[in-house]
Amino acid sequence: MGKNINEIKNEALKELESVADVNSIKELSIRYLGRKGIITQFLRNLSNLPKDERPAAGKEANHVKIFLDEQFKNAIKRLESKSIDSGLKIDVSLPGRPSVQGSMHPISEITRQICDIFTRLGFSVVEGPEVETDFYNFEALNIPKNHPARDMQDTFYISENIVLRTHTSPTQPRTMEKQDPPVRIIAPGKVYRCDSDVTHTPMFNQVEGLFVDKDVSFGDLKGILTMFIHQMFDSETSLRFRPSFFPFTEPSAEVDIRCVMCKGSGCRVCSQTGWLEILGAGMVHPAVFENIGYDTSVYTGFAFGMGVERIAMLKYEIDDTRKFFENDIRFLRQF
Amino acid sequence: MKVSLSWLKEYAAVEMETKALADAFTMAGLEVDAVTERYEYLDNIVVGHITGISPHPNADRLQLCEVDVGNRTVSVVCGAQNVKEDIFVPVALPGASLPNGVVIGKNIIRGQHSEGMICSDVEMGIGSDSSGIKILEGVLSAGMKLSEAINISDTIIEIDLTPNRSDCLSIIGVAREAAAFNLSKVKYPEITLPDSQDNIQKFTSVKVENPELCPRYAARLIFDIKVGPSPFWLQDRLMSIGMRPINNIVDITNFVMMETGQPLHAFDYDRLAENRIVVRCAKNGEKFTTLDQKERSLTNEMLMICDGEKPVAIGGVMGGLNSEIDESTTRVLLESAYFNPISIRKTSKALGLNTDATHRFERGVDPDGTIRAINRASQLIAELGGGLLIDGIIDHRKGPVKKCLIPLNVKDTNRLLGTNFDLKIIKGLLQSIEFKVEPKDEYSIDVYPPSFRVDILRPEDLMEEVARLSGYNNIPVTFPQASGESKKPSKTPVERNRIKSIMLGFGFTEVINYSFIHKLSCDHLNFHPDDPKRNMVEILNPLTEDQTVMRTSLVPGVLGTMNLNISQQTRNLKIFEIGKIFLNNDEDSLPEEIEMVSGLWTGSCHDASWHSTEKQCDFYDIKGVLEGMFNTLKIENITFTKTPEKSLTFTKTGYSADVYIENELIGIVGEVDQQVLSTFGLKQKAFVFELNLDSLLGLIPDTISSKPVPKYPAVFRDSTIIIDNNIEATSIKNHIDLLKEDLVESIRIFDIYEGEPISKGNKSISFRITYRSSVETLEDDYVSKLHKNITYNLVKKLDATLPGDQ
Ligand SMILES: [Zn+2]
Repeated sequence: MGKNINEIKNEALKELESVADVNSIKELSIRYLGRKGIITQFLRNLSNLPKDERPAAGKEANHVKIFLDEQFKNAIKRLESKSIDSGLKIDVSLPGRPSVQGSMHPISEITRQICDIFTRLGFSVVEGPEVETDFYNFEALNIPKNHPARDMQDTFYISENIVLRTHTSPTQPRTMEKQDPPVRIIAPGKVYRCDSDVTHTPMFNQVEGLFVDKDVSFGDLKGILTMFIHQMFDSETSLRFRPSFFPFTEPSAEVDIRCVMCKGSGCRVCSQTGWLEILGAGMVHPAVFENIGYDTSVYTGFAFGMGVERIAMLKYEIDDTRKFFENDIRFLRQF
Repeated sequence: MKVSLSWLKEYAAVEMETKALADAFTMAGLEVDAVTERYEYLDNIVVGHITGISPHPNADRLQLCEVDVGNRTVSVVCGAQNVKEDIFVPVALPGASLPNGVVIGKNIIRGQHSEGMICSDVEMGIGSDSSGIKILEGVLSAGMKLSEAINISDTIIEIDLTPNRSDCLSIIGVAREAAAFNLSKVKYPEITLPDSQDNIQKFTSVKVENPELCPRYAARLIFDIKVGPSPFWLQDRLMSIGMRPINNIVDITNFVMMETGQPLHAFDYDRLAENRIVVRCAKNGEKFTTLDQKERSLTNEMLMICDGEKPVAIGGVMGGLNSEIDESTTRVLLESAYFNPISIRKTSKALGLNTDATHRFERGVDPDGTIRAINRASQLIAELGGGLLIDGIIDHRKGPVKKCLIPLNVKDTNRLLGTNFDLKIIKGLLQSIEFKVEPKDEYSIDVYPPSFRVDILRPEDLMEEVARLSGYNNIPVTFPQASGESKKPSKTPVERNRIKSIMLGFGFTEVINYSFIHKLSCDHLNFHPDDPKRNMVEILNPLTEDQTVMRTSLVPGVLGTMNLNISQQTRNLKIFEIGKIFLNNDEDSLPEEIEMVSGLWTGSCHDASWHSTEKQCDFYDIKGVLEGMFNTLKIENITFTKTPEKSLTFTKTGYSADVYIENELIGIVGEVDQQVLSTFGLKQKAFVFELNLDSLLGLIPDTISSKPVPKYPAVFRDSTIIIDNNIEATSIKNHIDLLKEDLVESIRIFDIYEGEPISKGNKSISFRITYRSSVETLEDDYVSKLHKNITYNLVKKLDATLPGDQ
């Protein structure tokens, strides 16, 4: 008969202390407790003992077996929890299991930003149909049939009296028809013109704004748009108002901002002028109010419209407007 | 509108630098598009000093000149008679390009090197002398730039005019604005008519049959003219703004049009039948050949200028070939008229004929400028064409031009502009651009706009002039008083953005496709012949074949996007689009516009990686997206039912589900049919959904009422039953629901198995029921009994067996 069971136990514990990884403990466990393990062997050899000693020795050996098994398992558990805590056992340079969000289309994102700014200024968002009557798209906006101003917009026709809206401005008469002043709306949406090149796509996006109340002035228009530009770009961006012509506003203005690329010193984006045309605006033409039935002696108002693509191109330094509708995922994932 | 600065300076004193002038125009509403130096091409022409001449060895009429061009001496072959030693001449050096299109290079002329060209006036586009080379006079030195030597320069300013400013479609019109910058006045050209003879009434008559379309028609006669080239100054003026000189008579009518804005037309008097003019509408189908040698088909809405027999011009649009001025012309009838702008525009549109004349007439010419212009042209024709002016004007008019009076109130002006102008300032500004102002009282004036400002009709138009002239940028920035409450944000945009965020969270990227698609898209998607989505809105004037109709589904767009990205090697794609579809009602009403949301998932769910193998997406992935979306939106009562065979379109048989919410069909989800895929040039599997967003938004609950979280623990019981393969898994839930057992909190299927040892045609389904009471902790025994009952019930209802029974 070789070592007694307590010696075996002490040796096993000593060995356990000297190993520090899970695999070695498992090997140790097999070496002592496996089918051909030391303890198993010991138990088998008990038959060589005198009959009366066998039960006590067997019991003791079994206790040791259970005790060691517990020790091995606990050691493994300790090591495993330790490896999670200490980071010793993972390769942090491996990529994690991905949680990938999609990307918002840049046009949606910019539209949202524009609407958010105006919503904060007390405007509410309205929307209108994209296929529109000649009446709302033109006539109600003081653009009669056979007026040269119609040449300013290349129109897609559905029938003689139905068009794809060429601007978001039809939302103006549509809104005013339904409510009395005060009116404070912002109307984003798709518009269509039959024009296609690097700077034009046959479909694009505009945001229209309309503010009608007592004593609203051109100065107020300048105020609201200045506030908008400062929030959209930055508070250093200066604005320039130029006289222009829209049949549904009088006075009418084009609004330029200081080139956001060159800060006014002149570059390719601003055609060396230092200014970027960004908005059309003006005081609502009395003919538009008359069509609706607003009292022009009481109410005045301003309206403005801007191209979303134009602003997105400036914000994200995009040079070709067609990219917006190609939907190359490698482009869209950048936003 | 192109404006030559030197021409403009004939009428207005300009004190500003060119750049400042261009800025001033822009800020006055005349947006300057481009400023170019007209003689830039002369930069490669320098002053040369001829230091030696020898005969050309191989050509009798050519000479070989040694020319000092400042930094070197070059050999130039010259054929002019007047070339001689020790003169200064303009030398076009290699690289120079001349107005006639010639580009100078290093040449070998009859065996002799020639490094440049000695030029004549004509060759340089600066004069009419073509008899020989130009000999330069004055204090000169070799190598000087020619433009400095002859002091020639002109700036061309291109103005992008808005359609309201027809008064600026002339050099004088633009000069008027320039003059106002320094508060000076335009100098109108003085018109002194030559002595006239006889009387026009003896030779011709004008009859206007449609005075509404031609409110004014004036005519003059000039006899004994000689048609020939115009003098250089006149040709030069026209060329400076891009017009081609033709002959003196035509050039004069063009010159006066550009000077005054009034289009004129000259007829060959002797080619007018009965030597008279009749203004009337054409007959339907009448044919007429215009000056550009094209035969036009006319309608009875088109106003024609006729002689005693036939049309000779389309009024205000273009003259006819049959009465054109040519070398043989000796007598001219000059026309200056005011045509109805709408009529001109209609005719011009119908014929697709845009001319300088239609451009002006349709925007409105000065109704009071008719006579001035015809006299100005008569004066020039008599001067330059050597003619004899016949006494008198035929001036056929509907009635005198009404003087337009607009009252203007100072307070109203300041209220609209947000300014603080007093009456004196407003008066001064308006007077600076020739508006007549009569004071009425302390706060109001009567304003008479000049006749050429046809765009000024209302007080607001005057207010714009005041704002424009004082400078928009000088108007103070103010902020409006917001009256009333601001409204609650409208639901649609808010919820739409929420759905976008949900889709982004699920890893889908937003795309935006054109609203117009290919006409055959309905065929491409296998829509049934009577599908309402076949009622497409058609565009009358589409740009391209694949953009001819408005979409009735977002699916062609997302499949197109998939195609584009796969061609760019992006094979794994999760995209969605939110946008409108358009269903046609009938010809004259607006189509129904429905907002839809569509998603597409193709390729792998996740790539092969160190932690997992690649997994291709499948039906359950995309269905899970919808379930996740509905769940987030708190939309309940959703059912997915197998799309009936007969209503299948772009989805694959057996792999398609109709989506119902509260028994309303709101969309479809499924795998794209093979055939449809290949129509879109696609091979790999794709899973799509398309839902009616408008319906979906309506189903989102407006309010959420919270419920208490459970106080008592749940008890779980699992079962497995074996049922017919054709029974949908959902029937288990449906049947248990029917039992209305309060303690059943939820049912979850966790395993489905087909194959050994399950007999063919059957499948085993394992599910877990969660039991919970809201008032007590459930007894194990009680739940076990309940569960056994439910399972037994299920087995009976679904004709199922339990695993042990087999
Ligand atoms: Zn710039």
